[in-house]
Amino acid sequence: MSRPLDRIPAAEPAAPAPAEEQRRWEREKRAPFVAAHPERREAFVTQALKWPIKPLYTPADLDAAGFDYLRDLGFPGEYPFTRATQPNGHRSDLWTMSQVTGFGKGEDWARRARYMLEQGLQGLILEHDLPTTNGYDSDNPLVEGEVGRAGMALDSLEDLERAFDLPFEKLRYLMSVCNAPQPVNLAMIIAALEKKGVDPRRFVLHIVNGILIEYTCVGRYIYPPVHGLRIATDCIEYIIRNHPNWAPISIISAQLQPAKANPVQEIAFSMAIALAYIDATLERGLDIDTVAPYFHFVINVDMDFFEGICKLRAYRKIWAQLMKERYGARRPEALKIRMMTSPTTIALTLQQPLNNIGRLAIMATACALGGAGESMTTPLHDEAHALPAEEAIRVGAALQHIVAHETGVADTIDPLAGSYYVEALTKQIESAALAEIDKIAQMGGALRAIESGYFQRTLGREQYERNQDIETGRRKWVGVNHLVHPGEKRQIEIFRAANTMEEEQVARLRALRARRDNTAVAAALDAVRAAARSGSNLVPPCLAAVKVYATHGEVCDALRDVFGVHTPDSQLTGV
Amino acid sequence: MPTVPARPLRILLAKLGMDTHTVGITVVAHALREAGMEVIFTGLKQTPEAVASAAIQEDVDVVGISSLSAGHTRSLPRLARLLREQGAADKLLVAGGVIPEEDVPLLQEAGYARIFIMGAATAEIVQYLQDWWSARLAAEAARE
Repeated sequence: MSRPLDRIPAAEPAAPAPAEEQRRWEREKRAPFVAAHPERREAFVTQALKWPIKPLYTPADLDAAGFDYLRDLGFPGEYPFTRATQPNGHRSDLWTMSQVTGFGKGEDWARRARYMLEQGLQGLILEHDLPTTNGYDSDNPLVEGEVGRAGMALDSLEDLERAFDLPFEKLRYLMSVCNAPQPVNLAMIIAALEKKGVDPRRFVLHIVNGILIEYTCVGRYIYPPVHGLRIATDCIEYIIRNHPNWAPISIISAQLQPAKANPVQEIAFSMAIALAYIDATLERGLDIDTVAPYFHFVINVDMDFFEGICKLRAYRKIWAQLMKERYGARRPEALKIRMMTSPTTIALTLQQPLNNIGRLAIMATACALGGAGESMTTPLHDEAHALPAEEAIRVGAALQHIVAHETGVADTIDPLAGSYYVEALTKQIESAALAEIDKIAQMGGALRAIESGYFQRTLGREQYERNQDIETGRRKWVGVNHLVHPGEKRQIEIFRAANTMEEEQVARLRALRARRDNTAVAAALDAVRAAARSGSNLVPPCLAAVKVYATHGEVCDALRDVFGVHTPDSQLTGV
Repeated sequence: MPTVPARPLRILLAKLGMDTHTVGITVVAHALREAGMEVIFTGLKQTPEAVASAAIQEDVDVVGISSLSAGHTRSLPRLARLLREQGAADKLLVAGGVIPEEDVPLLQEAGYARIFIMGAATAEIVQYLQDWWSARLAAEAARE
């Protein structure tokens, strides 16, 4: 409202503006101090993004970023969910505390799983060995020496029948990690549950189904990316239509982070990958409000406390924005990101392993401050050395309780909100990530970015530069390039598996091939090839094939016949 | 001043078997390229046979294997044997990754000149290869 000139009161000496005050402080106080006490580093930068860190953040930084409380943060459980996806944060329910389970094979896995359920755990993770995740049977000459090592060997339905010798009534969820051969793996799980008479509505099968990240950095792929995406979409569609209480897709950002994606790349690549799956699923005639709530994200936090916390806040906001503004989702459930958090293993050192307990506590605190999400997993301090010792498992479990119950960080919602630094950095990460998401969209999306090697080369450069930070000492890492104990003898216990396990597995497989109805198997494999060619959903013919005991490798081979294999060069691996 | 080699060293980097850990080999590849070497990567999940024939076909001077799974005691010696059998014994063989110290003598006996255990600096790897290459070029020049 304008007022007549004559009614404007005579100007009183105005209070100095904060920005002006800050310049005065810089000139009169800080600059002379720094001249007398030089700073301990040439440049202060964040760990992964290497963004300059200012000596002081003030309201001026929020103004510069265009920060607006209601638009940028809002309230917990409401759009844009920056503060929390739940209205009461972690005051009502803490996150589920979990650890990655050890590995085994077939009946060994069942034994371990039963033990864990007896200890009161309600969820299990089924990891498979490298022959399985790369789509080879145990008797393939390529995989000699790898059978049953990094997880359970899976050759046929028989193996899962042995593995599922479990009290399913105690099981809330089972998570299975087997990305490239996902429809085969999913079919085997469904068939094994049927055989055991387990009601699939009584628990949640959580498949990772994360083939696009395998092409980006993990490497356990089989078929060319375009077919990988189709296969993953078949599984998502099948589960949504047939087992709507299951979880058909997780974006494991926690695989991009150890491949040295910085927070902006990590958010942008994982969101772009999620959008590729979403677009493909929408093309199957499902709508965004149905599809979006099925997406889960597993996210690591590294040692830079603030990069980690701000990244988690930005994840929540960006997902909500993308779903609402770009996809027109309306259901609140579609706008809330489902996330699980974890301290990263790549911050842990082989040297002076007890130091890792300190690192884990700091990272777990950052996870909690950033809003831990549905669950938090902690790696263990001796993981770089060998299979975790019992003491490490106990310390790892206690860590989460210490963070949850002793520090108070989970007692109020999003406690760092309003910090000038945290809000400025959150906004900065958010805008850079949105810009990168747009850039990837302009390339044609995640699939094209993978096919052109963009993700892989970006990560390759980042890996080299971050390694140089350590080699040149730009970044100090205790035990590695700082406070090194020169006399320290590296003590690595090596797990050397007995080869009898591999021989047994191969013998079983050969006996099965001799015993089963091979005519039925051949016909079932033809049906898999036909579905692969026609574009119809692959899960039903895979289900029919595994039920007549076609092996995992045979079904993968049938798909190789149609799709071919992915053989990337330097450009497409980033090496 | 180090003399600039007449032609750049050509190295084939490879991963054998199901081991798909690539961060280490990527960092090394970038450092070697930065140092002016020609780096060729085989891609993942290779057999010793495929790596041996790629090494011969690409006419490389050095073959470097990255191993972060337990397969090194079998596949690395096999690759060395294949190269010898195919008349390529003059290529320098090096390896790196998670290789227990007690396995180093076995690999050296098999023909690997140097094993860079996890944590080795890229500067150390570059220096080692540059020294070897200078000596090799000097020996070639002396013969001519």
